[in-house]
Amino acid sequence: MGDSVGTGTVPPLPPPLPKSPPQYPDLYGKRRELAKVQILEREISFLEEELRSVEGLLPASRSCKEIADFVTGKSDPLIPITKKVRRSYRFWKWLCGISCFNLSLICCCPKCPHLHMPHCCKCNLCNLDSCISCPMPKFHCSSSCLNTRCCKMSDCSCRLRCCIPKCPTCSVCFCCIPKCPTCSVCFCFARRCTCCYPKSPKVNICSCCDKSCCYSCYLCC
Amino acid sequence: MENKMSSVAELKERHMAATETVNALGDKLKQKRLLLLDTDVAGYARSQGKTPVTFGPTDLVCCRTLQGHTGKVYSLDWTPEKNRIVSASQDGRLIVWNALTSQKTHAIKLPCAWVMTCAFSPSGQSVACGGLDSVCSIFNLNSQTDRDGNLPVTRMLSGHKGYVSSCQYVPDEDSHLVTSSGDQTCVLWDITTGLRTSVFGGEFQSGHTADVLSISINGSNSKMFVSGSCDSTARLWDMRVASRAVRTFHGHEGDVNSVKFFPDGNRFGTGSADGTCRLFDIRTGHQLQVYYQPHGDNDVPPVTSIAFSISGRLLFAGYTNGDCYVWDTLLATMVLNLGFVHDSHDNRISCLGLSADGSALCTGSWDTNLKIWAFGGHRRVI
Repeated sequence: MGDSVGTGTVPPLPPPLPKSPPQYPDLYGKRRELAKVQILEREISFLEEELRSVEGLLPASRSCKEIADFVTGKSDPLIPITKKVRRSYRFWKWLCGISCFNLSLICCCPKCPHLHMPHCCKCNLCNLDSCISCPMPKFHCSSSCLNTRCCKMSDCSCRLRCCIPKCPTCSVCFCCIPKCPTCSVCFCFARRCTCCYPKSPKVNICSCCDKSCCYSCYLCC
Repeated sequence: MENKMSSVAELKERHMAATETVNALGDKLKQKRLLLLDTDVAGYARSQGKTPVTFGPTDLVCCRTLQGHTGKVYSLDWTPEKNRIVSASQDGRLIVWNALTSQKTHAIKLPCAWVMTCAFSPSGQSVACGGLDSVCSIFNLNSQTDRDGNLPVTRMLSGHKGYVSSCQYVPDEDSHLVTSSGDQTCVLWDITTGLRTSVFGGEFQSGHTADVLSISINGSNSKMFVSGSCDSTARLWDMRVASRAVRTFHGHEGDVNSVKFFPDGNRFGTGSADGTCRLFDIRTGHQLQVYYQPHGDNDVPPVTSIAFSISGRLLFAGYTNGDCYVWDTLLATMVLNLGFVHDSHDNRISCLGLSADGSALCTGSWDTNLKIWAFGGHRRVI
């Protein structure tokens, strides 16, 4: 360093130039824009390809026939009528697995015409003489089930929650559960808790809710 | 500088033009498809003289109530072979149940309580879960518990940039799993290495343009899966081709909350926030049927979860208002509402699934319980 100063042979450094603006002042934005365009252009080629392929597609009725053939050609353990032989005992496997659970509804209704308990299931909990000890099944409270022959309405006590048809603020709900202390409206099955909006994205904890209010509000939409 | 700026402006113009072209092509495609929709499933079935399935009051009954969660149940999954169920709840636990005895075999306390989804591995040895922590955690059920009695996490699959909304193991492979996420992508994971094998969609890929909420892997061809999203579409993906969706299915007018393959593997069903379930054909892209029950008021309850019976004749759909409709897929009629039968749930049905042999349905609810439903009636021989 001392030598160079002493000799004076080294040309002086050029004065600093003003800094040039970067070549791409909005580099990220531009690339992003370009990527968006490229995605759309690719989408266009996909759609054009799909348009061409639609020409050769079969009508929907062909698929409908396949579905009809498929579902009718296969037995289903959850469907009442089947072309196979009786296989109702599969259900009893569930009921009689290791321990017989309380068959209060089924076992206590000797008049039920549909159920025939197999010999494999010895249910000691059943009270075949009395229907009165059964809790009233909910379907008795709906008009569609009044025809059931198991129990008559007067025999059993209807569950309270099932028999409260309306709540004051909702015209259609059948059960009101107070949800959030901060909500002015009740939370019921038929309506959303309005304090728990917005809906999407589904995991946002909404502004009015905290853990003490709607603990699980992040999924309340 | 001016030149560069005009270049950006030019790109924006190209973007606008391309958007218009996409919309125009989409409309054209829609019109062409409409011409091919000569009937729907119900119309065809009626023309063939098919009659709806009928259920008596005790034909489909609740035979087990699985009690143990202290928070809302968000997700459930059956083991493929044995009669076990795993459930995930707001209480921050996964519970593994023996569905026959109602006994709990495992209660797994999660490091992150905000769980949204869970799945059983094909062998039944492991369970996976995911949620707001954006991680999919794997638990080996045979692992030793730690000092506090908790089952340790065997593997953490990290990489999503949003919540993990759904996960499903690839059939017959304990080492591969597919997740969907709020980051608009689906990911195929190699559990052995903990690495992402493929990412489907994303910022610079052709894919969903909003949160992905649900996935379903084709049981007949495990390389194909379908995803449902908040962008109101469902997309079919080939695991071997991550760059683009094989097909996009339009029609819904709300978030697609649930997707499930039809048992024949050539169709799939969707459940949406628009209150409808739909059936789509994966080979043609046709929307074959809409399942919708008109309500008296305008408050249409969104569909939360769907499942098909083993024959495909029944479609079970859970709704936010506590209803659980059983649809006859052929006639498109609602044949039973499990929300109005004896011993039904007291709150929203959040998840449901069929056992592997198709003999039982399990529903999970915000009432903290799971219920198992099975056929309890008398079969007629015809």
